[in-house]
Amino acid sequence: MPEHREAAAGYHRYHIPTQPAPDIEKWPSRFKVKVRRSGLAKLLIKEVFHYRGRKDVILSRPCMYGVFSGPVGGFMPREEHCVGCLRCTTEFPEFVRIEHNPERRSLGDSYFTFNYVDQIAYEASSGLVPVRGAGYRGKFGGEGWDGMWTDMSEIVRPTRDGIHGRETISTVVDIGFTPNYLEFDPSGQPTGSTPHYLSIQLPIVLDAPQTELAAGVARIYARTAAELDTLVVLPFEYTTGLGEFGDAIVPVVRPEHARRLGQLGFTPRIIEMQGWDEALYAAITTAFPLAIVALRTGFEETDALVSYAQRGIKVFHLLADYHGRSADGGFVLDLIRGAHTAFVDAGIREEVTLLGSGGMIAAEHMPKAMICGLDAVAVDTPLLVALQARFGGECSARGASSFRLPTDLNEAWGVQRLKNLCASWRDQLLEILGAMGLREVRRLRGEMGRAMFMKTLEADAFAGLLGYTEASNG
Amino acid sequence: MANIAGKTDEQLIVEKHIANFHKGFAYWPRAEEAPPALGDSRWTQDLILATWLMAETGQVPDNGLEYKIGASGGGFDVLDFNIPSQDQWLPADTEIDLSLPLNRRDDGAQLKINIPMYGGGMSYGSISEHVMQARARAAQHLGTFTSTGEGGYPPSLVPYKDHIITQVATGMFGVREETIQYAPIVEFKYAQGAKPGLGGHLLGDKATDVVAAMRESVPWVSLFSPFPFHSVYSVEDHRKHVDWIRTTNPRALVSVKVSTPTDVDMVAVGSYFAGAHIVHLDGSYGGTGAAPEIAKKNIAMPIEFAIPKVHKYLVSENVREEVTLMASGGVRTAYDVAKAIALGADGCVMGTAELIAIGCTRCSNCERGRGCPFGLTTTDPLLQQLMPADWGQQRIVNMYNAYAIQLRDLLRKLGLKSIRELRGRRDLLRYVG
Ligand code: SF4
Ligand code: SF4
Repeated sequence: MPEHREAAAGYHRYHIPTQPAPDIEKWPSRFKVKVRRSGLAKLLIKEVFHYRGRKDVILSRPCMYGVFSGPVGGFMPREEHCVGCLRCTTEFPEFVRIEHNPERRSLGDSYFTFNYVDQIAYEASSGLVPVRGAGYRGKFGGEGWDGMWTDMSEIVRPTRDGIHGRETISTVVDIGFTPNYLEFDPSGQPTGSTPHYLSIQLPIVLDAPQTELAAGVARIYARTAAELDTLVVLPFEYTTGLGEFGDAIVPVVRPEHARRLGQLGFTPRIIEMQGWDEALYAAITTAFPLAIVALRTGFEETDALVSYAQRGIKVFHLLADYHGRSADGGFVLDLIRGAHTAFVDAGIREEVTLLGSGGMIAAEHMPKAMICGLDAVAVDTPLLVALQARFGGECSARGASSFRLPTDLNEAWGVQRLKNLCASWRDQLLEILGAMGLREVRRLRGEMGRAMFMKTLEADAFAGLLGYTEASNG
Repeated sequence: MANIAGKTDEQLIVEKHIANFHKGFAYWPRAEEAPPALGDSRWTQDLILATWLMAETGQVPDNGLEYKIGASGGGFDVLDFNIPSQDQWLPADTEIDLSLPLNRRDDGAQLKINIPMYGGGMSYGSISEHVMQARARAAQHLGTFTSTGEGGYPPSLVPYKDHIITQVATGMFGVREETIQYAPIVEFKYAQGAKPGLGGHLLGDKATDVVAAMRESVPWVSLFSPFPFHSVYSVEDHRKHVDWIRTTNPRALVSVKVSTPTDVDMVAVGSYFAGAHIVHLDGSYGGTGAAPEIAKKNIAMPIEFAIPKVHKYLVSENVREEVTLMASGGVRTAYDVAKAIALGADGCVMGTAELIAIGCTRCSNCERGRGCPFGLTTTDPLLQQLMPADWGQQRIVNMYNAYAIQLRDLLRKLGLKSIRELRGRRDLLRYVG
């Protein structure tokens, strides 16, 4: 077969296979269905008489979702099937009440609210894009992520691809170093720095908790990352026995690991240093000369990042806490912009890769974070929620948060849940890119012109109205 | 005891549930406590119940329900009117004109609507034929319009054709020479606010034999209306579309429905120069059909911000008086309509409010299983009988009647004799956020 044919035959379009992976732990139902039994009994008696025993008419009940289809019907409603349509309470206001279940609403914490938990549970169990009717139900804009909208291409812009091109939009991103320009000697050979990067198929890296990991979780993460053709950031200690997924694993190392680097059962393509340490950096580059070295550090270090780049670090994994806050209280969206701008100002943004973690808990946060300047998102808590982790109170601090995973977690289920989540997020990213008319996700990075901020729009629209001051919108 | 002799089980089942619904729609707005799980921050419990009450009575609620604003914390919900002191109000018997001319150019028919609102596109298949009929009959009664959406033009709508806008969207479903020729207004849907830039999608479950026949497609196969029009990449291309309509129906006005990107002002001006009579802006927070949640919340700007941007730009380009600017996408109440007009629109296009008038609880389950449990967004033969067209027609008429009362009252207090005088009067608004 000619070479070009072989290449064509070997081509496959990137696709994440999804399949249903229903919850393994029963979560509280979304709604409470309260039926006053005496009311229901009276209704039955009345209808038996009224419809002279015509069974199908008498038994025709309002719920289309099976809540009243158990052995004793409405006397023991099957709340887990309730979708909150309110038909029953509309038809029988005198004895049926539908309430939000406070237990369900207590899932998550004050940042990772139950709405986000619900959304992730749907995405992880189905792999689908959440689609609902009847318009948007939430608040108007808001702070942080909610105060930002993404652009779309309307009729007069010739660059759009739209839905037809969605299948061919690339979500590949590069992690590593690319020089601003190439230099060649007189014979045409490249001199100076040459590109040193790897590509992953989607701008999602899995970021495992750097604290204690429940048995089997590291393996679930690693296998998922390998199957998705992306990366997983794992604590050094948890990489043991995962050599088969070595290409996908980014071990996180600290100074105490400097002398144990040889114990890794594989040669990492990329390795992450927990905080800058000159000696550790030297040890890593000696042990793994071909590996890309990333720096894992807090957004508070933004002012120092450019100097680290000058010392050889080209990949920065920047962390906010799980609520998206830095130690000095900034929010991750602004922190990303700050880090991105620091490199732009230094004229080396194209040379480095910025990954970010913390507070990015919904599919929509990924394109927004990229517009603000990230190359890819290292997803943290959503992965735990996809595995049905329950929050032990407020979970903001990375080192002091407690998540309880289901006891009967199994690898096949866990991998499918994480793959479903990533598939759903990727598909939602494609919706955003398709609407913007962008053919590849790399073009999204730093595209601030394709973002709209509530503060600016509100000032443009409402400035001059009585009662409106700059302070009105913060 | 009801007469059940001679009736089929199906008839009795439908009658039973309809009677129950009507009882519930009347009960809840007057109850001391609202259904606990009803409503959200955009459409609060009060707004939904007030709409039910207006749809029943045709009057403004007087039982304490908040019928003017929601609790979204932004946009229309942080705007109010500066009502002058009572001595500046117009006398109670002043005639207040709510009519709105839709054609400000010197070509095409000089159409006027009696209220500054018309019904937005909802396609056959995404809503039931009964709902379409109810909306069309209500539009006829009110002297306004409703739009077919992109799903075809059922023959049962032909008697109301003088009040029906034919929508042409990228899938071209149901677009035929005769449906263009019927139409007093032809609406090009370039994009829609609920899913800007994403096109339309009818799930296979809803593409029944009848729906598929109407759309000239295969039953039970999902249908996509792709985004964008691949025949339009410039204002000049858009002009070709307008010419195409003019050739088929020289009387028809052309409306261009667009979403709200950052450059929505340029889009509006481009549409005007391509020959549009009406520029219809559809903001991001509205919509009735199924849409990805990520799109509804995040793509494109809310209508409250798009209206002044476009209005100002049309003024600066000296074309504001030659084009009618209609706004939709999250316009929920008569007060939202008035605010949209004060921000610079000429009128509004309504969707969700009409569905709520005929029983929608905004539960968002439209796409689940057999479709809407109240018989609205469904093609299920049994379910769609739950919303009889004559009942729906009256509910929609009543709701607009209550809106008209509120608009006249507001204009009178603002010292304005016509809704047209309100356009762009930002000085009459105040920010209460
Ligand atoms: S609210 Fe709807 S889904 Fe829930 S029990 Fe009632 S009818 Fe069934
Ligand atoms: S399914 Fe719910 S949201 Fe959709 S139309 Fe019916 S009542 Fe309204």
